Amino acid sequence: MSQLQTRFFTENKKYSVDDVPFSIPAASEVQDLSSVINKLLEAKNGSHSQVEFDFLVRGQFLRTSLASHMEAESISTEDVVEIEYVERFTAPQPEECMMHDDWISSVEADSEWILTGSYDKTARIWSLEGKAVMTVAGHTDVVKDVAWVKRENLLNKLKARHCCRGHAGSVDTIATNPTRTKFCSGSWDKMLKIWSAVATEEDEELEEQPNRPRKKQKTEQLGLTRTPLMTLSGHNEAVSSVLWLDGEEVCSASWDHTIRVWDAETGELKTTLTGSKVFNQLSYSPLCQRLASGSTDRHVRLWDPRSKDGSLVLLSLTSHNGWVTAVKWAPSHEHQLVSGSLDNVVKLWDVRSCKAPLYDVSAHEDKVLCVDWTDSGLLLSGGADNKLYTYRYTACESDAGA
Amino acid sequence: PIQSVCVLSVGGAWRLGTDVRNTVGNIPMEWYQDYPHIGYDLDGKKIFKPIRNKDELDEFLDKMENPDYWRTVHDKTTASDIRLSDEQVDLVHRLQKGQFGDASFNEYEIHSCSSGPIVSKMVHAIKMGWIKPRKPKETTPQYYDLWAKEDPNAILGRHKMHVPAPKMRLPGHEESYNPPPEYLLTEEERLAWEQQDPEDRKLPFLPQKHSCLRAVPAFSRFIHERFERCLDLYLCPRQRKMRVNVNPEDLIPKLPKPKDLQPFPTTMSLVYRGHTSLVRSISASPTGQWLVSGSDDCTVRFWEVNTGRCLKTLEVGGAVKGVAWNPNPAVCLVAVCFESTVLLLNPALGDRLVVGATDQLITSYEPPEEDKEQAVTWALSEGPEHDKGHRLTLTHPKGVKQVVWHGKGDYLSSVMPDNTSNLQVLIHQVSKRRTQNPFRKNKGLVQCVSFHPLRPYFFVATQRCVRVYNLIKQELTKKLTANCKWISSMAIHPGGDNLICGSYDCRLAWFDLDLSTKPYKMLRHHKKALRGVAYHKHYPLFASGADDGSVIVCHGMVYNDLLQNPLIVPVKVLRGHQITHDLGVLDVTFHPTQPWVFSSGADATIRLFT
Repeated sequence: MSQLQTRFFTENKKYSVDDVPFSIPAASEVQDLSSVINKLLEAKNGSHSQVEFDFLVRGQFLRTSLASHMEAESISTEDVVEIEYVERFTAPQPEECMMHDDWISSVEADSEWILTGSYDKTARIWSLEGKAVMTVAGHTDVVKDVAWVKRENLLNKLKARHCCRGHAGSVDTIATNPTRTKFCSGSWDKMLKIWSAVATEEDEELEEQPNRPRKKQKTEQLGLTRTPLMTLSGHNEAVSSVLWLDGEEVCSASWDHTIRVWDAETGELKTTLTGSKVFNQLSYSPLCQRLASGSTDRHVRLWDPRSKDGSLVLLSLTSHNGWVTAVKWAPSHEHQLVSGSLDNVVKLWDVRSCKAPLYDVSAHEDKVLCVDWTDSGLLLSGGADNKLYTYRYTACESDAGA
Repeated sequence: PIQSVCVLSVGGAWRLGTDVRNTVGNIPMEWYQDYPHIGYDLDGKKIFKPIRNKDELDEFLDKMENPDYWRTVHDKTTASDIRLSDEQVDLVHRLQKGQFGDASFNEYEIHSCSSGPIVSKMVHAIKMGWIKPRKPKETTPQYYDLWAKEDPNAILGRHKMHVPAPKMRLPGHEESYNPPPEYLLTEEERLAWEQQDPEDRKLPFLPQKHSCLRAVPAFSRFIHERFERCLDLYLCPRQRKMRVNVNPEDLIPKLPKPKDLQPFPTTMSLVYRGHTSLVRSISASPTGQWLVSGSDDCTVRFWEVNTGRCLKTLEVGGAVKGVAWNPNPAVCLVAVCFESTVLLLNPALGDRLVVGATDQLITSYEPPEEDKEQAVTWALSEGPEHDKGHRLTLTHPKGVKQVVWHGKGDYLSSVMPDNTSNLQVLIHQVSKRRTQNPFRKNKGLVQCVSFHPLRPYFFVATQRCVRVYNLIKQELTKKLTANCKWISSMAIHPGGDNLICGSYDCRLAWFDLDLSTKPYKMLRHHKKALRGVAYHKHYPLFASGADDGSVIVCHGMVYNDLLQNPLIVPVKVLRGHQITHDLGVLDVTFHPTQPWVFSSGADATIRLFT
């Protein structure tokens, strides 16, 4: 049996081993390497408990035996192989299931609460444990997207503060900026509009006046009318997804097969990335500076919003069997993202292992329409079977992994 | 090796030439393989083989080391190696060169014999120059083409390109000595035969009947016949008919590969479920966000395209035969036809302003001064009907099978198929609430109608042909005949110059209106009757749905220059619908902006292929 020279390293200081080459049997699999690391750590520190590790060779996850992986990647077996090891994440465990009355179109999680929008024209707020806290009525039609602005001490009643009018078509997507002062919306009328999210003093006073003429009271139920700060036009078809890259740039994806980056201050178009299929959703990760897009083909694609090139797909993740309707980057891990699709499956990816997802979660019985993460290690997914599922997803140890 | 010369003793007297080394004679030496001796010498003693035979190693060493190896010969008869002497080696060399073996022999020497003086005289003459020596022969080129200078028309050429004479006709019934009566000519025929010129006659003889073979006279025409045949054989010029050697693959037009013709729908992405009976008709909104469908379960459903969600369901009074969404994006109206009614609905989807403007349009109607009698009663919907979305109801005298809008969205046409009447097609104007019957005469059962997308033409498809009418001039412009049994559906290319018809005999005919009134191409891709055909508004695609449950999408590129014919390439067969009650796909329509196709089927589903 042939042996390979390997050197192990990790970014997590807690699990570092000596930086010396080891001679490992070539046919070792992930479990064998994991037990090697565990033994080394036990030798160093008697109180070390067993941890499952995952291994990366040159940025690619090791899924087969070491020898076959190196042969597939054409890595020379003569030199010392550098292997990075990270804590392995366990499969997401379904925790809660929140039943809605109708399809769930969108979900966004806060540190304590989950906000969902549904096809029954309401938005609901839930606690992280799955208890319904509040229902937000007011829309006269299907709620397509929800976003948190600010969460203050909630009164028992929630009143609509503002009704932002201006779009000439169904508003399909909204996003708040990182400083929570503005939000942007995209619609079927091909436009993006930026609105202020700040409640002004006068509005609060006005709401308390009881004896207003009847006509104004009717609109008061929907909040006071607000007009957009800015309108961004340039897309040729419906805007399906919008997000803020940082405080100043807005990125939008549309049915005209393009992703556009706009300057939120001036309203100018900065970059256009062209794809070949309708985009369903976008997600941006500030940790790795990449955009992930889900399209009406079965792929999740990664883009670099800073690239000057017109259409440079960095990576294509293929595993779904239907349109990818929702993608979201993990807030704490720069390589992980979750995607939901019309084939009822939610998939968890690590972009370093681009051939297959880490985990497939088939909890839904119908199309998955939205996914999100919470900061505390929960995954959320909502779909056309009226259910919102939460899953616990952490590293093997209780503290967050590499 | 030098063969030993052996002269066998004849009569026992000869001793000369007898081989003194081995007396066994000319026998295969292998006979002595197993024996220790190899023969007998003159005295009768056994000649023993050398004690140690040379094996390969010895041979090899010999080859390397022995300086005389090259002149050592192994003699089989004595099984010993003989070293050749120098004269012998010389002899061998001379023989190899082809010279005489005897070194002392001079072949050029003139012997003194009877021809000696003559020869010496000749030599003297040559020396004097009186007799010239024979010139060396001109060397003809070694290889030359025997037939290079052939005249193809020469007699020999005809032998090469032999054209066989045509065969003589075998005798038939007419030449029989007792033909059946129908082969005998009647009096008139005989007179006619006699009057004709001999060259014009079909038969060069008169068929005759004899009761028995004995009664048959001599054949009078024998010499004549042979003469004619000989003329045919040697006098008739014959020409070889050059058959064109065509490679059949060259005849097939080179079509581009479907991969190069992307984008087109390839897979089924969404299924819209909700109807409970077959869905006869679908139509997409001009923005592409919604889809409306009408079914035999008496409901009209509105769907959101990208999720498959049924947003609204409306019950109507009968099985819905046709739906059509108004193509004007500033108006939100859907026309639905069921039984004898055409209903105009406002689905209230989308921008509230547009919805409001549509309602305004409906209510801002002013009745004209004189109320003309119309074939159709227009009624404004009120009360609960209005809340459901109904706006206008047009009550027709007969069952309506299809409604179709004009491109601008104001005119609407409805079809009431009836073989006997001339009131089959009506054109309505929504803003003026006016109905007209454009036709006076009945030309056949009308299957479907369509407006021209750009020009004021109106297409009416009956069972076997499509008639094109000019609405302004009020006359028939063209009549296209599709050679198929019963046209079922029709679609006009957005450019306006091409038309496709699907028929119940599984054929799709593409008409190029500028080219001819006959189909430019007939496509027979489906196995069963076609039910619906459609063009895409922007992409060069068209689709057809049939009872075999499949939708076939083809690339149909129409060129702007009038010289190039449209390029038609079938690109994809989309399957997914289930055949229910022998019916498959009932209607197809494309998405207005994306390269997607919707199809509705008898299995109560609508499918989106992208």
